Amino acid sequence: MPEAITAIAPGNRLGLLFRVRGRSVWNRALVAVREAPVRLTTAFLLIGVVWLGLYGLFRFVFLQLEQTPLEAAVAIPMVFNFFFLAMLALLSFSNAIISYGSLFGRSESSYLLTLPVAPLDVVTLKYLESVVISSWSVVLLGMPLMFAMAELRDEATSRLLFLAFFLAFIPIPGAIGLFLSWGIARFFPRKAARSITIVAGIALAVLVVGGLRTLAPQDTDQAAEVWLQSFLSSMSFVEAALLPNNWVAAGIDHALQGDPLTSLGYLGVTLANALFVGWLVVRLVARHFDAAYDRASASRATGTRPASNASGGIAGRVFFYLPKPLRLVAAKDLRTFFRDPAQWAQLTILFGLLVLYLTNMPTMKLGLQATGWFLMIPFLNLCAVSLILATFTCRFVFPLVSLEGQKLWLIGVLPMRRSRLLWSKMAFSMTVTLVVAVGAMVLATTMLRMDITWTLIHVSVTVAICFGLCGLSVGLGAMLPMFDESNPARIANGLGGTTNLLISVAVVAVSLAGILIATYRSRHLVPGMIPDVVSLACYVGSMTVSVLAGIIALYLGGRRFDQAEV
Amino acid sequence: MTHPQRPCAIELTGVRKSYGDKVAVRDLTLSIPPGELFAFLGPNGAGKTTTIKMIVGLLRPNHGIVEVCGQTIALNGLAAKAKLAYVPDQPFVYEKLTGREFLYFVAEMYGLSSATRDARLEKLVEQLDVSEFLDRLTESYSHGMKQRIVLAGALLHDPSVLVIDEPMVGLDPRTIRVVRNLFGDLTRRGGTVFMSTHILDIAEALADRIGIIHRGELIAIGTLDELRREARREHSLEDIFLELTGGATCPKR
Repeated sequence: MPEAITAIAPGNRLGLLFRVRGRSVWNRALVAVREAPVRLTTAFLLIGVVWLGLYGLFRFVFLQLEQTPLEAAVAIPMVFNFFFLAMLALLSFSNAIISYGSLFGRSESSYLLTLPVAPLDVVTLKYLESVVISSWSVVLLGMPLMFAMAELRDEATSRLLFLAFFLAFIPIPGAIGLFLSWGIARFFPRKAARSITIVAGIALAVLVVGGLRTLAPQDTDQAAEVWLQSFLSSMSFVEAALLPNNWVAAGIDHALQGDPLTSLGYLGVTLANALFVGWLVVRLVARHFDAAYDRASASRATGTRPASNASGGIAGRVFFYLPKPLRLVAAKDLRTFFRDPAQWAQLTILFGLLVLYLTNMPTMKLGLQATGWFLMIPFLNLCAVSLILATFTCRFVFPLVSLEGQKLWLIGVLPMRRSRLLWSKMAFSMTVTLVVAVGAMVLATTMLRMDITWTLIHVSVTVAICFGLCGLSVGLGAMLPMFDESNPARIANGLGGTTNLLISVAVVAVSLAGILIATYRSRHLVPGMIPDVVSLACYVGSMTVSVLAGIIALYLGGRRFDQAEV
Repeated sequence: MTHPQRPCAIELTGVRKSYGDKVAVRDLTLSIPPGELFAFLGPNGAGKTTTIKMIVGLLRPNHGIVEVCGQTIALNGLAAKAKLAYVPDQPFVYEKLTGREFLYFVAEMYGLSSATRDARLEKLVEQLDVSEFLDRLTESYSHGMKQRIVLAGALLHDPSVLVIDEPMVGLDPRTIRVVRNLFGDLTRRGGTVFMSTHILDIAEALADRIGIIHRGELIAIGTLDELRREARREHSLEDIFLELTGGATCPKR
């Protein structure tokens, strides 16, 4: 007879689950080192180079800010406040997507639930895993910002404190994301797509209406000080005492001012709240996990009949310029995209953020006397659109090749070169991003009442950056794929995805640096005048960097994809 | 055939499961005593997998009670799952673990001592012939290899109830024979096997009793002879199945 199996108490299998996860990661690392050492080393080197580049860039920006102490005193704490507020929103969303996929969509959850392991252990594992997966690339990107500031203030000890603030902060969006994913599974599983469509549609409509309202004529010649005051006043909500970004920003500010004790106090507040909210949400979700899992499974079991075949028809028309085989692949991608609520809900929210940004952008005429802050607005607008584009391509375009996954055999037996598939991915992503980005840029230049020369320059740069970012994401997606993963969020947050994110940000930074120089040199031009040769060279150089980055990535990705064994 | 020390069985009482308007399982009452190999048959989409998922605690019935080894799965799932093993039609293994690491994980999950684990593992490795690839990452396994490792994992803690969905898919003839023997061995020792399959020859050869589900309803249950009597024909299980599920119009070669 078998030995007696004792009753399994909740919690005592968590260590085992972590050990297995650790072993999997270790085995994965060993395989990567053994089978693709050059690729792995290159990825780490690129991450290192880009990390140092970002550090240098942030250091330069802070140095510039320090030259105007008044603006620096106001701007630097706000930079951190906004940074962590943005992190709170983005990481909550990212955690929600990852938690939903790993708790309610992955076969591992189903497997674990048939074993004598308590839901509390499964939820705790998935929560911590989601926090690590979604946050590590952000921490990697955020640390250059923190370290540059610490270096500038000669506060070497602040670096450790900054890292501690990051680590204390990230469980909060993790808990919010977990709670959201559970809520979605528990309360609107059966018609998830329809529910998300309605919510996102209403949100988008409100944003667009708000945006159109701001297109109405406004007082266009406010003094810089008045505008700055009004801008800071409208942004004061980010300093609400209950928002975690405020605790972190205040803690960092105190550390920079040489007050480590108060800073430690804020660290304690952040950590205590993070631990409490994490504990509370994990307990709550674990307690009601069965019901949520059951409803999520029910929504999968019923299946959804596509509302219409409109996406196929649209694809046929939108991708008219592609040869038929590539058009079919692009149409398939578009259908898949529109039938995956998690995917396009993210797009809707990103697009919504863009509209929100545009609708809150100050509308004013760029007068002849425009200098300083005013001159920076069109440039900052280009920065914002470029960074949102980079987020978009890293989140949605990079996983496209990996998502072909186990179905690659199908592509492999088709009568076409495999690398041509990349061109269909490129066409698909370029079409979508160009519509969004060029639309946003035209709207922005209209609101800023820029003359035709500047409008053309900014739109051309946007097109070049679009090409570069899409090329990078498609090419690197083929060079550093995760074929065994079906969750786009996990693919985007893997080593390949993070490499792509860092390289994309670096390419955007280099391109924008050229635009910054050209903008600065052109600050005294009157409307209609053509910028000087050096400025034009900077524009052309910036666009060339983006386009070349895209072409090189596509070429290398295509070569690797052709040679890959499927 | 009932083992005095293992009074375990599967008991479903008035179980109903619906997905929105669609009723997947309708008022299912089923009792499977210890020591029985029960074959659960039905056309695609009949409600087999939904029933299985309710038995193993992955889904909750809208009405009715599911009991495994005397424990109501909705109330005391951990105790029931400790005596249960489930092998789904798509076997799950951790891709970045070796077969041995995966089996060690399963053994520890069920609280087996190292000595017991090693002894049982040695026997199962030999029976299922997995030694050749046991120390390779499971990502390199074929479907059949994964199925063998998952079967070894399911049998490692010597479950009282084994629930298995399409057990023979992807297995070679030798392994099919081994699995048949393993099932027979388990039921002889008082264990219960609940098997869903489309391979009617296997059900005909192995099952003590057969249940046929169609459109969520249990339309027939009994031994093969009882089903023949019900169908009033001396036919094969395939003929009975097709007749009961409305597939009799399918031409016979």
